[in-house]
Formats: sequence, C-alpha cells, structure tokens
Amino acid sequence: MADRLRALLALCCLALLTFPASAAPIDRAAFAAGLCGDGAAQVRAAEGLVQAGGDLAADDLAYAGGLLGALAERRLACPAEGALLLDRPGASDGRDAVSGAPRPAAEARAPVLGLRQRAAVETARGTVALLTGPDPAARSAGLAVLERRIATVPASVLDRARDAETDATLKATIAGLAQAAALSSPDPARRRAAIAAVAASPSGAAEARLAALKSDPAYASDPAFRAALDAGLAKVTRAVAIGDGLAVVYNGLSFASILFMAAAGLAIIFGLMGVINLAQGEFIMLGAYATYGVQEAFRRLAPGLLDLYLLAAIPVAFGAVALVGIGVEALILRHLYRRPLMSLLATWAVSLFLVNLVRVTVGTQNLQFVMPAYVSGGVPLYADFVMTWNRLFAIGFAAATLVLTLLILRRTPLGLDIRAVTQNRDMAACLGLPTRRVDRLAFGLGSGLAGLAGVALCPIYSVNPGMGSGFIVDSFMVVVLGGVGSLVGTLVAAVGVGGANVLIEPISGAVAAKVIVLVGIILFLQRRPEGLFAVRRRR
Amino acid sequence: MTHLTRRGVLGTGISGTAALLAAPALIRPAFAADTVKLGCLFSSSGTMANLEGRLNHVVRMAADAINGRGGVNGRQIEVLTSDPASDWPLYAQVGRQMLQQEKVAALFGCWTSVSRKSVLPVVEQNDGLLFYPLHFEGDENSKNVVYVNSPPASSVLPAVDYLMGPDGVGAKRFFMIGSDYVWPRTINKQLKGYWKSKGIPESAWREEYVPFGFSNFQTLVNQVRSFASQPGGQAIVVLTVVGSSIPDFLREFANQGISATDVPILGLDMVEADLEGLDTAKLVSHLNCWAYLQAAKGERNQKFLADWAAYVKAKNVPFSADTVIDPMVSAYDSVNLWALAAAKAGSFAVPEVRKAFAGLSFDDPSGYTLTMTGENNYVSRGVFIGSVNEKRGFDVLWQSPDAPKPVPFSPYG
Repeated sequence: MADRLRALLALCCLALLTFPASAAPIDRAAFAAGLCGDGAAQVRAAEGLVQAGGDLAADDLAYAGGLLGALAERRLACPAEGALLLDRPGASDGRDAVSGAPRPAAEARAPVLGLRQRAAVETARGTVALLTGPDPAARSAGLAVLERRIATVPASVLDRARDAETDATLKATIAGLAQAAALSSPDPARRRAAIAAVAASPSGAAEARLAALKSDPAYASDPAFRAALDAGLAKVTRAVAIGDGLAVVYNGLSFASILFMAAAGLAIIFGLMGVINLAQGEFIMLGAYATYGVQEAFRRLAPGLLDLYLLAAIPVAFGAVALVGIGVEALILRHLYRRPLMSLLATWAVSLFLVNLVRVTVGTQNLQFVMPAYVSGGVPLYADFVMTWNRLFAIGFAAATLVLTLLILRRTPLGLDIRAVTQNRDMAACLGLPTRRVDRLAFGLGSGLAGLAGVALCPIYSVNPGMGSGFIVDSFMVVVLGGVGSLVGTLVAAVGVGGANVLIEPISGAVAAKVIVLVGIILFLQRRPEGLFAVRRRR
Repeated sequence: MTHLTRRGVLGTGISGTAALLAAPALIRPAFAADTVKLGCLFSSSGTMANLEGRLNHVVRMAADAINGRGGVNGRQIEVLTSDPASDWPLYAQVGRQMLQQEKVAALFGCWTSVSRKSVLPVVEQNDGLLFYPLHFEGDENSKNVVYVNSPPASSVLPAVDYLMGPDGVGAKRFFMIGSDYVWPRTINKQLKGYWKSKGIPESAWREEYVPFGFSNFQTLVNQVRSFASQPGGQAIVVLTVVGSSIPDFLREFANQGISATDVPILGLDMVEADLEGLDTAKLVSHLNCWAYLQAAKGERNQKFLADWAAYVKAKNVPFSADTVIDPMVSAYDSVNLWALAAAKAGSFAVPEVRKAFAGLSFDDPSGYTLTMTGENNYVSRGVFIGSVNEKRGFDVLWQSPDAPKPVPFSPYG
C-alpha cells in the first residue's frame, strides 16, 4: 500500500514537472515537445515516462514508445512548433507526432542524442517494451535494458510487468529483479531478500553494489543483515573469480586457435616441405577475399540464404587459394627447391605482388561483411564471462581443421606420399613416387589451409590487403617452436604461445607480454633448436 | 655450394628484407616548364595506406583547383607524390630527396607523430616547410612545420571536458588504451596532468598500451568491463590506438555486449574510414573529436563533398567517393594556406612564405574560418565532437562556438 502511494505521489510530481498542461495520464503534445527540446528536456521527458510507466494506459505507452524509437533512429524531426515522425531519416515529409496529419519536414532539425539522453531514452524504450511487448522475447529484451540501469526504474513498473506477465520463466526473472531492486528498502527482511537476489546473478557490478552496503549503518548494528551481506558478497566474489578464470581460458583458446589456423598451412609448407613461404599471410588474405566474393555472390543470387555464406565459403576459399598455391608452385617454386634463399625471396615477391594486385583491383578499404547471428555478439555465460560467437566459431573451425588435416596426413594415400617424400625425397623417388606431383599437391594443401584461416578470421579481424603481413612472424614462430614437420607440435605451440600471452597480458601489458613470450621462445630454442616435437628424418 | 641451415637462411632473409625496404622509393614527377613543385609524403602501402593514401589525391585535387584559377604567382602547381610505405625512417629519406633534388616549395605529409618526428630534422636542416594535417600531441613548435590541425588543448581537452560535464556522462574514471608510441603516450601524459589539476585522484585512471597492429583485444575489454563495474563513478575509455587496431577493438567491445551508454569510448584517432566494414548499430554514440566532420553543416562542406565525389569519379581514385575525413580537409586547407601565403609574399622562398603566414585566414569546409598569427605556425581551428551513427558515420553532437586559439605547449604535461 505504501509503495502504491509513493508511486502515485511520484507520478503526480513528475506529471507536474513534465506534463504541466494537462491532468490526463500523458500529455502527448508536451511529451513530443519534451523530446524535441534541449538535452535536459529530453532526459526529463524520458525519465518521467519511466517513473509514470507503471500507471500509464497501454495506448499511451505505445504512443510514447513510437516517438522514443523515432528519436533514437533520427526519424523524429523538430520544426519550430510540435514534432514530426518520418518514415526514414532525412525524409522530406512526415506526419505530425500528435495529430498524425501529413506535414513537410523542411527546415526541421533531427536531434542527435547525447550519451545521457540516449541512456534515458533506452531505459524508457525498455520500459515500454517490457510493459507492452507483444511476445516474451520482446518483453525480455526490454527487461535486459532495464536491468542495466535498475536503480532508475521504479518498483511500480516491475510490479505491473510481473503481474501482467504470462510467461512463467520471464515472470520469475522479473520477480527476482524486483526483489533485487529493494536493496535500500526500509524493511530488513526485504533487504536481506534483495541481497540474496543480487547475489543470485553475480557480476562485477553486483559485487560493487553489495560492497557499497558495507558502509551502511545496518551492517554494524544488525547481525542478520551483516551475515546475509557477508554471505552474499563471498558468493559473488567467488563467482566473479571463476568467471574471470573462464574468460582467461577462453581468451587463451581463442588466441591459440587463431595462431593455429594461421600456422597450420605453414606447418605443411615450411614444416614438411622446407619451403620458407613468406606469402603465407597473403594466402590467408586471399581466403578472406574469397569469402567476400562468396558473400557478394549470395547477395546477388540467393539473398535469402545470405546468412549461410560463411559455410559456403569454406570449400570455395580452400579451393581457390589451393589453386593459387599450386600455380605459384608450378610457375616459380619448383625451380627453386634446392635453393632456399631464392625461394624465400621469390615468395616474398609473390606476397608483394598479391598485396598490390588486391589493392589495385579491390581497393585498400576494409571489406564490409554481413555478420550472421552465429558470429556476432555473445552470450553471458557465468558472472562477467561473455562467450563471443565469432571467437567460438574460430575455435570450432580450428578444431575441425586440425582433425581433417591429421586425417589427410595419416589416413589417405596422399598423406602417405607427402610423409614419404618429406622424410626422404630421393628414396621416395627411387620407389617410384612422383615427387614433383606430391610436392605440388602438398603445397596446394598448405595454401588451402591458409585460405581456410582467411574464412575463420573474417568475423574477427578487419579484412584489407595488408592483413596478411601481421600473421607471418607469428606463424613462423609457432611452427619453429612446435618442431618443424609436426602438426601436433604446431598445435601445442599455438596453445602455449596463446595461453602465455593471455596470462601475461593482464600483469605486464600487451607490449611486454609479446616481448616476454618472444624472449621465452628464443631461450627455449637455444636449449632445444629442434622445437617441442622433433621429427626424425634422414638427410 | 655453401651449406645453408634453415635458421641461417631466415636470418639472411630478414636482413635482406630490411635492405630492400630501405631502398629509396620512387618519386613520381610530371615534368613541365614554369611550374612550382609541391611534395607529398603519404604512404600508399603498409598499415597506413588506407588512411594516408587518400591524402595524395586531395592534395592533387586542391592543386588542380588552384591551377584552374591561374596558379600561384603566375606559376602552375605540380604535385609530386611518393610512397614511404608506412616505414617511418623512409619519410625522412623521401622528404630529403624532395627538398634537395626536386627543390619542392613545400612538403605535405605524415599521419603518425613518429613519422613527423623523423621528418622534422630534415625540414629544419634544409629550411623546408612541412604542412602536417593531423591533430596531434602538441609540445612541438618548429618554424619549419605548419601545424594545420589542432593540438590537444583545442581538440582532446574540450572533448574530455564534455564527457566529464553534465551534457556528457559526468565521467569520473578513465581507462586509457593506446598504441605504444609517442602520440598516445604524450596525450595520456597531458590528460593525467589535466585530471590532476582538477583534483581527480590517480586511482581513477588506468593506462594500457598495445603494440602497433595489435588485434587481440579480449583481455583488455574484460579489464575495461571490470574497471567500469568498480565503484567511484562513471568510467569512459580514451582510445588512442591507431590503424587496424581501431575497428578490431570496437568489434570486440560490441561483441562483448558493452554499449556506449554503459562505457562510452572517446576514439581520438577514430574517423569514418575506421568504421568501414563494421556493424555500427551496436556502436552507436561512441565519440570522436576532430576539427572537421563529414556531417558539418554549410554550403562550403556540401561543395567540398561534391568536389571530392566528382574528383574520385573523374580520376578513378581507388577510395570511397562519399567518405571524407578530417585529415583530407586539413590537407586541402594546407595547400590553400600555402597558396595564399605564397601569393601574399609574392615569392616561393620559404622565409618569405613563412613571414606571410601572419594574419592569414581561409574559409574551410568545416564552416569555421582558419586563421594564423605571427606567433607560431599553428592554425586556429574549430572543434567538433562526433557521435557514431548506424550508417558508419558520425553525427555532430557538439561543436565549439568559434575557433579557439591554439596552445602549442600543454601546461599539463
């Protein structure tokens, strides 16, 4: 009862502030004028709506939601008098925000939301979505927005949403949030329940909220409160630490997967064949450009299936880059197998050629990729640990590549031939193996793997002609550390280097992490020049 | 035949690479009689290519326009371009070649402060003129460099003030992330001095640096999240990473679900070109600050945008016709300022041109009037704060009422 009274009182005060002209639940003209006013007026209008939200009629809320949405998308135009709704930003005609009559939008300015205004407008839109959303998904999206700024949301909004909610899970979530919002309630029992509710969804922010209560007078005077707070805080702190640990593991794995993808092709070309291929980074870049080509083809031919382009790009990028690799091998490298220095210079020339070819034909700008839902955004898994889909895609991709490559090398006739030729080229030739053909196919396989890396990197890195140069040093480092000729060694080295980087970075910074890892590798190679996993071979 | 080990080969290869990179870049002149030469030091390859490459074309466009009006002092302008390949020492070498062999009347160039610092002794020894079109860390005042863009006092500090004020977010805590070189370190040093002067305690900020071209920002974004959740007031990120690190950082930030209303980013080197290839719907409202934004109002800007689009089409320039960034406008301003000064001096000699800077003014596309005084070679520019929108551009969130007088040396550093 007391809460209801307070809400009503707040509503009256705010109605006086925001909607001075009318006693009606919402004065539409004044609301529109507020959104068209200066920054402070916008904040007042949006916050007033949130405060009054628990008691407004559904059609008023829907009306306000439409205006707020238009403001956020810059479809709200503000002439000298009143406000206009436009169909798209910058349109020349619109409808009056109150009467709905058509009006020209010339001379009207479209306000740009500042940060404070955007936060208020987001919260107001979240309130409207929570209270009037047509389906549970829309309502829970609204709730997620409110959760970010729960301190500004009055209890009446959450109570109304909980009472009206039909979806049982969402109802429970709202109830939990309403409970957690009562941290500063005068009722000690409700406060303790609020502490437990906050502790039930742990995060760094929850930890800060609870820690702030330690300076509350009740902490010293009320033992029950003290016990509840200490227990809640301990629970949150532990959960946050676990979440941070998970994040470190995930970051390490994701960095390792990128290193492994970049180095896998090189493990075959350099590791097995002994060719120092400085164009490996550019093969990765070509794979990314092939992915872009597939995306554009989908856009033209099958726009409905556009989200699947990344999967369709896998065989295309592999095939296209493998063909480029085979071409390079056939035209240039096969003449240079016995002259490693020459092949190094030749592949460097190839890399410069490819970079400039792409620069001239496509341009230097970063390519624009459509990011399907499975590689954009992330899901908060535990405490502050967010699992980002693009990284998970790369990890899965790297794992699949590893398995397939191992299968090819160990279980197929081609793999047997490659291993035979790389272990003892002359003996393999004596036994009748077409070593030149095997070389070409192995080089194609190594290049194709670089193409696959290009596909996996599209959702993570910017794709431009120069992107390959960043990978070449890291890839050689990983291959040499892992032991020349061993794919498993490459994997272990990638995990080691990735993990070490991620572990050292929070302590000493990214620059020092790189230096420390490099020094570590140098020292290790001093002791063990053959790398982690040496393959015995005859010379 | 000598016996080659793999590691030996790798070593030789790397030194060979270095030797080849150090070889002089070709300068591409177009010979004609009765012309005055201007030199460009902008890379068309390497990490800076996507940004600096545009500036070569803008300088040509500005020179073409001046030539169309009859040139300067009766002479046509001839623009020499080069490719320092994003290799900082190479800027100095190409600059020396242009000044000594080609006898250019002025140089236009450099993006990063490290490249400017490498050209600085060259222009000072040869008494040349370098027009530098980027906003930068200040704390430098050479008579041989014209600082066409703003020092921190007239770009970064107003933006930080805005964020700390009631119109912004009332920022109390600051997470600085920068690439590891002179510009971010100096900017952050000055910011820390500024905050100290405002009585903000040292515990309210954190400073992290990453190598050039760094892209694995997961750990740093995690740190930003936990920094922001600590008590003590609203946190913001002051981002001074450069090049491809900018889109990579923004992408990770958005993917981890942190929005501008949670923790806003003030990207000091962030331009429209950095948003190419990003889904900016989740990045709306992050901020930058420059002396020009594409969304600037006014006919002069409309004309410049139209001129650039027409130039891109006519000359088949390999850059976007509808993206214009501050350094492009600043490069355009540079050529015009030089032409005005040379015409006023009636000479192309550097000491004469330099004397003519005092009292010079130019109405540039930003809508402000650029002015120069006799005190130093700084140019007074307006201040814009931009806010990222859904269409990979920036909306003008705030702009200064007039062009503040530039302060070369920061009192806070």
